[in-house]
Amino acid sequence: MAIVIALQDVTFGYLETERPSLNRVTLEFSSGEFALVCGATGSGKSTLLRILNGLAPHFTGGALSGSVFIDGQDVTGLKPHDLALQVGFVNQQPESSFVTDTVEQELVYGMEQLGFERLQMEQSLEKVAALLEISHLLEKPLSWLSGGQQQRVAIAAALAAGQRILLLDEPTSALDPEAAAEIVGVLKSLAHDHGITVILVEHRIERVIELVDSVVVVANDGLVTKGSYEQFENYHLVPPVIGISTKLGWNPVTVSVAQAKAKWDQRPAPWKPIVNDYLRSKIALDVSGLSVSYKDVNAVSDVSLQVHSGEIVALMGKNGSGKSSVLWAIQGGGKRDSGSVTTEFGDPNSLSAEEKLCVLTLVPQKAADLLFLNSLADELQESDKYAQQSEPATSRIFEAMAGRLDPKIHPRDLSAGQQLALVLALQLVKGAGIVLLDEPTRGLDYAAKRSLAKQIRTLRSDGKAVLVASHDVEFVALVADRVLEINQGRLVSNQDVQTALGVGASHPTQLSQISMEHGLLHLGQIEGQQR
Amino acid sequence: MAIFAGVSQNAVSQILVAILALGTIFLFREDAPWSRSVKFYLFLAAFVVVARVLFRIIFNIQNPDEPTALFLPGLSVNLGFGPAVQLFGEVSYQALADGTTDGLRLAAIILSVAMASSLANPRTLLKSTPSVLYEIASAVSVAINLAPQMILSLQRVRKARSLRGRSKGLGSLAGTVIPVLEDAIESSLSLAASMDARGFGRKGNLSAAQVWIARLSSLGAVALLSIGSFLVLVGESQLTGGLVIALGLVSSVVTVRIYSKSQIRTRFDRDKFRLLDGLLLGVSFALFIAAWGGWLS
Repeated sequence: MAIVIALQDVTFGYLETERPSLNRVTLEFSSGEFALVCGATGSGKSTLLRILNGLAPHFTGGALSGSVFIDGQDVTGLKPHDLALQVGFVNQQPESSFVTDTVEQELVYGMEQLGFERLQMEQSLEKVAALLEISHLLEKPLSWLSGGQQQRVAIAAALAAGQRILLLDEPTSALDPEAAAEIVGVLKSLAHDHGITVILVEHRIERVIELVDSVVVVANDGLVTKGSYEQFENYHLVPPVIGISTKLGWNPVTVSVAQAKAKWDQRPAPWKPIVNDYLRSKIALDVSGLSVSYKDVNAVSDVSLQVHSGEIVALMGKNGSGKSSVLWAIQGGGKRDSGSVTTEFGDPNSLSAEEKLCVLTLVPQKAADLLFLNSLADELQESDKYAQQSEPATSRIFEAMAGRLDPKIHPRDLSAGQQLALVLALQLVKGAGIVLLDEPTRGLDYAAKRSLAKQIRTLRSDGKAVLVASHDVEFVALVADRVLEINQGRLVSNQDVQTALGVGASHPTQLSQISMEHGLLHLGQIEGQQR
Repeated sequence: MAIFAGVSQNAVSQILVAILALGTIFLFREDAPWSRSVKFYLFLAAFVVVARVLFRIIFNIQNPDEPTALFLPGLSVNLGFGPAVQLFGEVSYQALADGTTDGLRLAAIILSVAMASSLANPRTLLKSTPSVLYEIASAVSVAINLAPQMILSLQRVRKARSLRGRSKGLGSLAGTVIPVLEDAIESSLSLAASMDARGFGRKGNLSAAQVWIARLSSLGAVALLSIGSFLVLVGESQLTGGLVIALGLVSSVVTVRIYSKSQIRTRFDRDKFRLLDGLLLGVSFALFIAAWGGWLS
């Protein structure tokens, strides 16, 4: 295979004093290769992708040294628009990068910029629309499309001018598992059937791992290695299907459920069952007949649920199924058309904002919105003052979850997981017994998700009642005692976590698929083996 | 239409313009972010009319020759300097009518602007801009696109902040503004990156000097056109105004011709000039000419 992209001794960093996010990287990609780039949140993986079409450093700032070659030509220092004919780029959120209104306009936009003749445009348009199976959508406004369709349009727009290289930054992060699997299938076919070099950054490795040809790992120290799956042996940011190999000392590493299942069947490991002990405690939150509608749409209809003290309940469902609306309606900050919410202190709607904080708290999707001071210490102090605590109560809660950190650090410089811990500490200092969490795992890598799960479990042992909205199966398996499933605003099931995510469920965890054992959901239940 | 409303002195014609503008808005409005601003404009227009009339009533200049509409107790306020200011008192019909006409004129201008901004799709505007002005136009278009999104972020942040139970005081302004600005900057950067990655901003075969000449002359054309329109509106010198406008038009045509030789970008689908668009433009232009010529008012 011909080499299409070559990086030679590339180093990239933002300040000379800081350590570089990419350190002396030498890499090659050949034509028709489907490559996965992975690394921790905040590592240089997105930067690596952006260097390939000039978005870094031209849009990100920072300094680049070394050389980048595309098709044998030195393209170091060229701007993105100079490389637009060779390289297509697809961003995380397709709707935020659309330039026009309809599918057709969006597909020809790049060709218009590149000065294509009309006839040429028509031919390419037809070809690329057929390739991505969006020919029937050409006349449609972009805002009408589903997430998966939007992502197809974004990919088609990036390839319309005949680009032979496609770069994608977490293209499945906003999609549900079915739509994600479809998009990944499309990418594989682009690479293997049409010879396009596809390079994608993705931290939900399990969604793509079985289909890619090569894996590039970007470490936190900026060192980059390329190879196959064997790299995952000493890598902790992996999904359970790979993590089980490390845990049980399997060699070579398994990357698919089928492979892991074969290994497990040969030699199953001992495991501990999950214990449900919450039912003995009292009901902390009782919701009955809750309905919310916006204009003509019923976002939530007739939802009834209960959460006990010391219990973690997960509210699962697709994007737009009404999860957030339920949480906000319970808290009182959102709309509630009918139904009742009862806590130990009555209906939250009858309490003042300040009183509410003694009863229940909600952490929204973007937790950082709740932070407004310039340092960690200021936030913690202000919180103690507001809560009329003489001792450093807030920092005690925070340190129990996130450990001790430099008090001078700016809250926006904390990692997503640390921000969440800080917001939880600030919100819990007045002693609220009910905690509502809205999609807390967005943007977290596997390691961060595991430590978040641990944080939430400490809330449980403090006797808090926790209701967490999430569509992340593996995360829910780590935290929840019970799972409620919501579909189009209606609760459709209410099961123990072992049943909801176990063997035979509609969304089983990877480990239940591998082991086929009832009650075995996550790796934490398996005893590790010494290698 | 706004120009006509500004020049005309007649309340009936003002109302006609307002009705025409509103009718157009509600007939052809699409459900898009930029067309949701109508409510705000309507409110502003109503406010202006009411405020104008109230001003006339409060700061009433009494004129015993005219029939009186309202008998209000007069109030004489001595400010400590100059003559005492007369407030309220007997308000004449004429004063009320003048106030209403004044207010209606402003309201009609506001509604005409509302029509333009709520019907014009910023993206279509961007597409039909001559390539000389392309970079300026896209900056404007990105800014227009950001406005509704900033409102959404603002709502989200305010809702989130209410969760902390202290919406007032400490850091409340900075705490709201910073996340909203952060969102806005992030999304505009991501849009800009996406446009650039698809070839936007290519210079083609023009030299740097040519690009600069074209830019300067295009800016000049915009300036000339604005000054010309201003002169016509103020009514100071119709002839000079007309001449300046003509000069601006010539200048823009010349720069467009020079620039379009370079063939940097092409268009797939020329926006069809719909019959309705033509009709609307025709009516507006006729009104403008009529007002300029001094008829109708």
